[in-house]
Amino acid sequence: MNDTMTMDMSRDLGLLLPEIVVVLTGVATLVAGMLRRHAVAMPTTVVGTLVAAALAIPLLGKETTVFMGTYRIDDLAVWAKLVLLPTTALVALMAVPEVRGTDREATVYSLFSLTTVGALALAGAGDTMFLVLGTVLASLGSFTLVAYPRDERATEAAMKYFVYGSVTSAVMIFGLTFWFGGSGSTLLTDLGQLEGRTLAATAGFVAVVVGLGYKAAAAPFHFWAPDAYDGGPVVTAAYLSIVPKIGAIFALAVIGQQLPAGVVDWRTVIAVLAAISMTYGNLTALVQTSVVRLLAYSSIAQSGYFLVGVVAIARDELAMQSLVVFAAAYAAMNLGAFAVAGAVGRDLGAYRGVGRARPGMGAAMAIFLFSLVGIPPMAGFFGKVLLFGAAIEAGYTWLAVIGILNSVLSLAVYLRIIVPMYQQPEMERPLGQRPWLVWGTALVLTLTIGLGVEYLTSMT
Amino acid sequence: MPLITITIFTPLVGALILLGMRGSAPRAAHTVGLAASGVTLLGALAIWIRGVDGAGFSQVEEAAWIPSLEVAYRVGVDGVSVPLVLMTALLFIVSLVFSTHITDRAPTYVALFLLLETACLGVFVSLDLILFYVFWEVTLVGMYFIIAGWGYEDRQRAALVFFIYTLLGSLPLLLAILALYLGSDPRTFDMREIIAAPPLTGVAAGLTLLALLIAFAIKTPVFPVHTWLPAAHVEAPTTGSVVLAGVLLKLGTYGLIRFALQMTPDAFREAALWVAIVGAFSAVYGALVALAQRDLKRLVAYTSVNHMGYIVVAVAAAAATTDAATRATAIDGSVLQMVSHGIVTGALFLLVGMLQNRAHTRDMDAFGGLLRTTPVMGWLFILAAFASLGLPGLAHFPAEFQMFLGTLDVWPVLAAIVIVGIAVTAGLYLRAIQAVFLGEVPERWARMHDMTRADLWAVVPLLVLTVLIGVVPRLVLDLVRTASEVILP
Repeated sequence: MNDTMTMDMSRDLGLLLPEIVVVLTGVATLVAGMLRRHAVAMPTTVVGTLVAAALAIPLLGKETTVFMGTYRIDDLAVWAKLVLLPTTALVALMAVPEVRGTDREATVYSLFSLTTVGALALAGAGDTMFLVLGTVLASLGSFTLVAYPRDERATEAAMKYFVYGSVTSAVMIFGLTFWFGGSGSTLLTDLGQLEGRTLAATAGFVAVVVGLGYKAAAAPFHFWAPDAYDGGPVVTAAYLSIVPKIGAIFALAVIGQQLPAGVVDWRTVIAVLAAISMTYGNLTALVQTSVVRLLAYSSIAQSGYFLVGVVAIARDELAMQSLVVFAAAYAAMNLGAFAVAGAVGRDLGAYRGVGRARPGMGAAMAIFLFSLVGIPPMAGFFGKVLLFGAAIEAGYTWLAVIGILNSVLSLAVYLRIIVPMYQQPEMERPLGQRPWLVWGTALVLTLTIGLGVEYLTSMT
Repeated sequence: MPLITITIFTPLVGALILLGMRGSAPRAAHTVGLAASGVTLLGALAIWIRGVDGAGFSQVEEAAWIPSLEVAYRVGVDGVSVPLVLMTALLFIVSLVFSTHITDRAPTYVALFLLLETACLGVFVSLDLILFYVFWEVTLVGMYFIIAGWGYEDRQRAALVFFIYTLLGSLPLLLAILALYLGSDPRTFDMREIIAAPPLTGVAAGLTLLALLIAFAIKTPVFPVHTWLPAAHVEAPTTGSVVLAGVLLKLGTYGLIRFALQMTPDAFREAALWVAIVGAFSAVYGALVALAQRDLKRLVAYTSVNHMGYIVVAVAAAAATTDAATRATAIDGSVLQMVSHGIVTGALFLLVGMLQNRAHTRDMDAFGGLLRTTPVMGWLFILAAFASLGLPGLAHFPAEFQMFLGTLDVWPVLAAIVIVGIAVTAGLYLRAIQAVFLGEVPERWARMHDMTRADLWAVVPLLVLTVLIGVVPRLVLDLVRTASEVILP
């Protein structure tokens, strides 16, 4: 008896190796910060997250759980690691110019690692407790990252974010008790027990949508996002718009797989939220004058596209594949766009002539933005094709049509950055030498994900 | 040897070389451009010489891409695509010859043109729905940057309208592609499979056809969704107009044949009359609006609406008829018309561009008697204009003759209405020739210089072909016939 338990334990820990490595990385950077060894923090984070990602590769194709079914090791969870961990490494690289020399520099890197663990817990959750744990872990780190500059703007943004986050998390925890009451279990696989208990199922579902919708910055739970993105460093905005968002979306997808559709018409609810997110995000982005805010609203719109995949989940394999492909594409193109924004500046006027002064970076930005629109052969196109295909397959053609119309609308949004980039600059602006490594890597990924879709979709 | 792949990607390789040559002399950039497009033209000729079999697609090249979704890199040609590939390769090289005088950011300009060439050729040879869509969209991006970067005064707005309008048009195509994929059993993006056994029936086929018609109507363009065209043409640089009218519009009619006719044939048969009525109206409307223009470039742009309208009518007739011979005649005429319109309109836009480069105006009332000061340009313009109005012995005549023959069998009344368009076109060209080239020479144009060597190298090949096709249409028609007889199973 004792033997099997130790065996189980060591097996479980083996499967959790990527998460453990990331936690250790976070702790190590924290300690480095305490010892005033700030210089080692960034390299430690990059190496730690990449090692963790490499450790996750052998887990591909596994279909199992650890800790008595509460934490999943399956395609969605492993792909979350393979997308989010390299993203975290790139974010750490991107952070260097913005945080170098500031007080408590190393803390930023450790917060990245620990928040990523939260997002991974969300994506791997097999139990409502892990949903709560992931949300709280991801949120606490995020608040601190936003507040990091400690000026008025950042403090206000973090405060908004914090209050909003506390309320939604509380609502989620409260609602999840209904699911426990209805099904007698905290396991997501037992959600089928809710069949026939409409009230409990609905209350829990609404609460989960509020909690995860907040993390994913999907409308109408997005109000914190533009302020939080614009208040903190650009690198924080890039990070928050990718890592916690994808974690929350994947968690929602897993719930969608388990929740019986007969008891609560959750598909329609998510479909409506998807349509609102896409349309609201794009329309609002159309009138922004700060590029960071524009990208913030654009990421709200992109959450809508993610939700299209959630709607179609469980009906067809295509939906799962589409979520993975779109997540990889979104991470690459959005990170790239934010990296260029970090180098050029927040003001839309600063983009005038950038494409002529810095042709490489200008072309890269144009490619990231076209990819966000969904123009082939960039990565975003393949994600969207699969998402829309999955939606049509699931009988939600109207949602695919709205998604497609929104793609046209989003072109108008992104051209607001692309057009001035190729105009004659009014005056020469000095452009800081920022590391091209981040946007360069993102560019290569944005251009090649289309060729490698096979590897992202060949799952069980 | 993967001839088609080499041919379509040679321009892209040239574009990549140019990216590494930023800041180098314009001369070097143009040399790379001419070399790449020259090799591409040779490749296109080699594809032509290799020839096509009667049934299905020939010279097919395949490579795995996303096997689990049945997406693959598949290219190949048939009798419909080979003439269009040749025309595209020709129009791009003459455009690059004509633009050798451009020095403003020349490497970028040439690189964009080469990117656009790869995309256009790719559309015509794609045998995979996803691959087709990829190339289709890249044409938009390339054209957008060419108009926005090297166009005339109001280029930013025109480029924006062009991009958003045509993107709005291409997204229904994506929906249709997804519908065809989800409807096929087993699921595949292979166009050959879908053509061999059209997967959709009933309402699904009807809706898919509707999406296809919207997408291709905007591209072609057909009234009432033609409004992007005049703005884009007027603001585009001359070579941009040549490629836009010569090649990009053909993507619409090519799609009409390859998708609407071949992939949703039954639904198209039901809807054919309505499509034909819209096409006929568009043809007459284009001619009448062209008649009202004083701006030469707008005039040529609107005659495109007219000429492309005929193709829509003829393809609809091919869809409606059950008689294989009539169908083959209508398709023969349509494909020949695409080629003729490409080279004739290409020549016209080049000539108007030369006039504009010299006079900095396109208002035909500002000119007069130019036949005396610039006789070569004058006579070549007159030749091209006569070809465009359908004079026998020149390229448009055999095409339009076959299209009317095909349409006459199906809808005699519509054919009669369409003939009105030809009469109007004749009138408007004669009026333009009279205003610009005949009469008294205004003082300020008395010393206008005639065509340069580069100008001649750009225009003369197109006009030689115009005469050649006019006299020996079999050159193209024999090729098209291999496909048009078996266009529907």
